[in-house]
Amino acid sequence: MREIPGVFQRRIIIGAVFCVAAFALVGIRLVDVSLMRGTGRSGFADRAITARADLVDRNGELLARDLPVKDLYARPHVFWDKNEAAHDLALATGANEGRLRAGFLNAKHPYVLIARQVTPAVESKVMRLGLPGLEFEPSVKRYYPDGRNAAQLLGATDPDNNGVSGLEMGLQDHIRAAEDGAQVTTSIDMRVQFILAHEIAAQRQTFGAHAAGGIVMDVKTGEVLAMASLPDFDPNARSLSGEDTMRNIMSQDVYELGSVFKIFTFAQAFEDHRMNLDEVFPIGQGYKIGKYTIHEAEHMPATLAARDILAQSSNIGTSQIALRAGGVRQRQFLEHLGLLSPIKTELPEHRQGLYPSNWGAIETATVAFGQGISVSPLRFVASAASIVNGGREITPTFIKTDADRRGAQLIRPETSQQMRDLLRYVVTNGTGKNANVEGYDVGGKTGSAQVPGEHGRYIPHALRTSFFAAFPIENPRYIVFVLMDQPHGIKATGGFALAGYTAAPLAGRVISRIAPLLGVPNTAPPTRLADGNS
Amino acid sequence: MIRVLNFFCVALMGLSILALYHVSERTRVTQMSLTKVNHQIHEARGTIGVLQAEWARVAGPGRIQELAQLHGMHDTTSAQLASFDLLPRRGEAPLNNSPLRNASAVVPSSQAVHPTLSPQPISIQTGF
Repeated sequence: MREIPGVFQRRIIIGAVFCVAAFALVGIRLVDVSLMRGTGRSGFADRAITARADLVDRNGELLARDLPVKDLYARPHVFWDKNEAAHDLALATGANEGRLRAGFLNAKHPYVLIARQVTPAVESKVMRLGLPGLEFEPSVKRYYPDGRNAAQLLGATDPDNNGVSGLEMGLQDHIRAAEDGAQVTTSIDMRVQFILAHEIAAQRQTFGAHAAGGIVMDVKTGEVLAMASLPDFDPNARSLSGEDTMRNIMSQDVYELGSVFKIFTFAQAFEDHRMNLDEVFPIGQGYKIGKYTIHEAEHMPATLAARDILAQSSNIGTSQIALRAGGVRQRQFLEHLGLLSPIKTELPEHRQGLYPSNWGAIETATVAFGQGISVSPLRFVASAASIVNGGREITPTFIKTDADRRGAQLIRPETSQQMRDLLRYVVTNGTGKNANVEGYDVGGKTGSAQVPGEHGRYIPHALRTSFFAAFPIENPRYIVFVLMDQPHGIKATGGFALAGYTAAPLAGRVISRIAPLLGVPNTAPPTRLADGNS
Repeated sequence: MIRVLNFFCVALMGLSILALYHVSERTRVTQMSLTKVNHQIHEARGTIGVLQAEWARVAGPGRIQELAQLHGMHDTTSAQLASFDLLPRRGEAPLNNSPLRNASAVVPSSQAVHPTLSPQPISIQTGF
């Protein structure tokens, strides 16, 4: 039989229980302090301060970054004078005074948003007001160091830092998925982008064009090194002013591009063996197809050899070449090159082209010289790249890649070679002379298209000029495509605004500046050096 | 004996409480200093980010062109002596011993260009 514990024994047991409990508490606390708390915040410093990864160009130069800012809120019930507070805060932050006053006087709202993405400069202004009840919530603001240079291409973000246009939207998944501190490397070369944007802006100003744009693309990797569209906007200003627009005319708009389209007509003729370059075609004053008459943009000789039809950009000659194969084959060929489908890249802005629903003889003739069919410049560049890159399909990309991304064979390599020779001939002997850059063997084609007006009729004397260039033409690496919407002739060009006077020299200047940067070897005779060095 | 053990246990408990309090305080202080350091790191990173963005702005080709034109320089027709790939990028080794260092050339006459960009300090754009 067990003995009942005595008083002392009970005290000892109680004391022991207390001791065990105390040691247990100590142990639990030690585990809590050393293990639980220790890991809870260790990662804080490593967390990125940005919600979106940086966008950088192909050389690692910064294109877009989140900068720390603050959102400003107020608790209006603590304001002594709500009207005065609304007035002062509106002055300091640029917020709408009426909205603030309405918010402050509405008793239902304990918190009122004063302004988002308040910069440190504005924050200090607000602090100087000495108002009670203000709260700053940490936030971020997307900043674009190069401002307008690549505005439409990079796009913009909304106040919640979500991409709403351009690569900010198209690469949203990459940007969001990038780990802390990681960057999203684009195919853009900011040096090339600046040169393209700068030259286009200067030429647009010179010729008073409504809009202008350009694309530089690697024909083998499909990387778009630069894309400019004017008018542009200031992505840091968050508002549009004057003629500013967020519209990227190079991917978002479709145009009748005119004679640059002739390269497809000639490529098709080479592919089908339907034409000899020395074959002579009658040109004359007009070419009748049913009730329609095809005219030339400029005066032409009575006859032209096939090579000179492209070099002098004859609409009549090109129409005859296209009609040999007929509309069915023409449509099939253009479809094969992808020209009848919208192009899908990382850029979210794209648009389906327009082409004839009834593809008869007159449509075949007009499509042959780039009228009656509208495509986006980016779509055109992708298909034209296939003509000069050995005949293989290429899809433009805005993400850096070093791999040769050429795909299926669309035209024979021999056709591509013939087209390259012919494009060089256009620059040396034809309408593209002003695009020639000594040492870089530029090949290309001009395009001067009529501009359709509001009621479907062409606007008299209005032109949309473009130039498609590839260099070095022997084994092209890069394409430069420039477009000017309704340039006006100037005294220096004799009043002419055709592509040979407006777009071709622009492309030439761009090439002369970017080719050395891109490491394209110059084949011109050595420059005379001051000290006899070579 | 039991009293000694009792006393020992109580003393140990007291010491444990003191030690626990000490550890707890040290942890709290360390936690505070860690939070402060984290905050400083956070701020420093923010500042570095702003400075890098500012550097990208002021060292960008647009800004350089503006400054060049401001000082009377114009675009020149370039004479390509070597590939740009041979030139070191920013922060890399200088051109010591490079054959490019001693190269000089007579280039064709320059073409004047019209400035199209106006200088705008980053503080106006960003407020930083």
